[in-house]
Amino acid sequence: MSDLNIAKSGYMLSNKPDYPRTPSWPYFVWIVFLCILFVLVFFWGVSFIFDAPLEEEAAWAKTPNPAKAPWYFIGLQELLVYFDPWIAGVLLPGQILVGLVLIPYVDISPTEQGKFSFFNRKFAVSFFSFGLFLWFFLILIGQWFRGPSWEFYWPLIDYPIGGMHWTYPGVPLKVSEAGTANVPNIIGFIGLVLFFGGGMVAPYLVAMMAGTNKIAARLKEYLDVLGPIRYVLIQVHVLLTLSVVVKMVLRLVFGFKYVVTTPYFNI
Amino acid sequence: MSQTPGHGGDQKPGKLKILADYIQSTDAWKSFFRTGYPDSLLKRMAVMRSSFVMHILPTKVGVHGLKLGYTWCMGGITLFLFLMLTLTGVILMFYYVPEEHRAFTDMKDLKFMVPYGMIMRNMHRWTAHAMVFSVIVHMARVFYTGSYKPPRQFNWVVGVILLKLTLLLSFTGYLLPWDQLGFWAVTVGTNMASATPLVGYEGPFSEFLGIRVDNDIRFAIIGGTRIGPNALIRAYVWHCVGLPLIASGLMVFHFWRVRKDGFSGPL
Repeated sequence: MSDLNIAKSGYMLSNKPDYPRTPSWPYFVWIVFLCILFVLVFFWGVSFIFDAPLEEEAAWAKTPNPAKAPWYFIGLQELLVYFDPWIAGVLLPGQILVGLVLIPYVDISPTEQGKFSFFNRKFAVSFFSFGLFLWFFLILIGQWFRGPSWEFYWPLIDYPIGGMHWTYPGVPLKVSEAGTANVPNIIGFIGLVLFFGGGMVAPYLVAMMAGTNKIAARLKEYLDVLGPIRYVLIQVHVLLTLSVVVKMVLRLVFGFKYVVTTPYFNI
Repeated sequence: MSQTPGHGGDQKPGKLKILADYIQSTDAWKSFFRTGYPDSLLKRMAVMRSSFVMHILPTKVGVHGLKLGYTWCMGGITLFLFLMLTLTGVILMFYYVPEEHRAFTDMKDLKFMVPYGMIMRNMHRWTAHAMVFSVIVHMARVFYTGSYKPPRQFNWVVGVILLKLTLLLSFTGYLLPWDQLGFWAVTVGTNMASATPLVGYEGPFSEFLGIRVDNDIRFAIIGGTRIGPNALIRAYVWHCVGLPLIASGLMVFHFWRVRKDGFSGPL
């Protein structure tokens, strides 16, 4: 059986009898030991130099401005600028988790494992890297470039935190929201349908040009192997991720707050 | 074999050597250290196989999987950080009472009264942040090396759950010092839950289900309409008992699955 077929059958190549192996003692044990030693000494040293943060005692009446989430959730808090909480805090995190779980089931190339490779899985690596970049980019912005009322601030500017003393005379509460407008519902609705509906069919439209175009031919080949269910699962997540970027541009560049407004929810 | 005078076979073993040999031949010694010093291939394998601590590692390992540039040691570091957090966490539990009027003063006691209390708290805090980071990096590495592919898809799913549990562990710990930083970060975080569609009182369509501020999903999570004593005890129990138990169980499965499937190698 070829290595490719072995991989397809779900058997790890490293379990093949002739796979080059070495006793774990002492090589592997040595690596583990040194790793433990390094981590222990490093954090012991860090703990001697830097104290864990502790602010004043919790008080319901003293709302700090800004109140920031822990750094790993601050990307979601930053998304609150662009989306209502049910999207930023519930739908998108859920989409991230579901998307992560789905990865092994929609990635249909059994080769390209056990090594860092880009050229045979360009789309997978690019999309995952983009998602990771977006997550940490939002964290960076939220952590260092947001100040009172979640407005943009330079990281080193010393703004007063907490209590009622953060406002400046003559400056409205939410400067960046003062000039925003909503997209008219009819245009927003058409835009949503075009974005998501068009996004779902666009790859197939490109693939129809397979006779004349080389890239389209490869795309068609890929879509045929992928099948409709995997395609839908992937494309929904791609479009949701892109919609975050689109909404950010709409808000920051064109000053639109909502694309669709209804009495029940806004998008 | 040539023998120089004073060296080698004709010399009688020293008293220390005789003593050492005797100690190592006793039943008591052999019951503790079963295989003796692993100086042959057989003993190298046996020492990994017969030791409870060592048997988490394979007896032999693929040469490929040993490279630091391949695994970055991130999975192992994550496990070790978890063990460090367990140890420092248990020590902190001796000095901490999750009660509204005591939690914060216990933080001050840790700093000013408890010997090495601040070092323990610092290590707990910094390793907690590091664990969130190392889990994310571990996940990225597994993705970039395609190590989630067959037969290990399900272990990736378990890994995603462990990532989520790590975030929750860190998040529940954030509230425990009962200072302004944690209090408002957790307020921001849990407020997101109230925006859940249908079951959060600020979420879309919740009015159709009769969901109010005092019976929605956020109320169930924090045990009240705002972060208070109930939220503190809930965070404490989840942080110290519930989540570590679930995470430990899943970790055991995660490692067992890795060992069953072997460390991946390139095709």
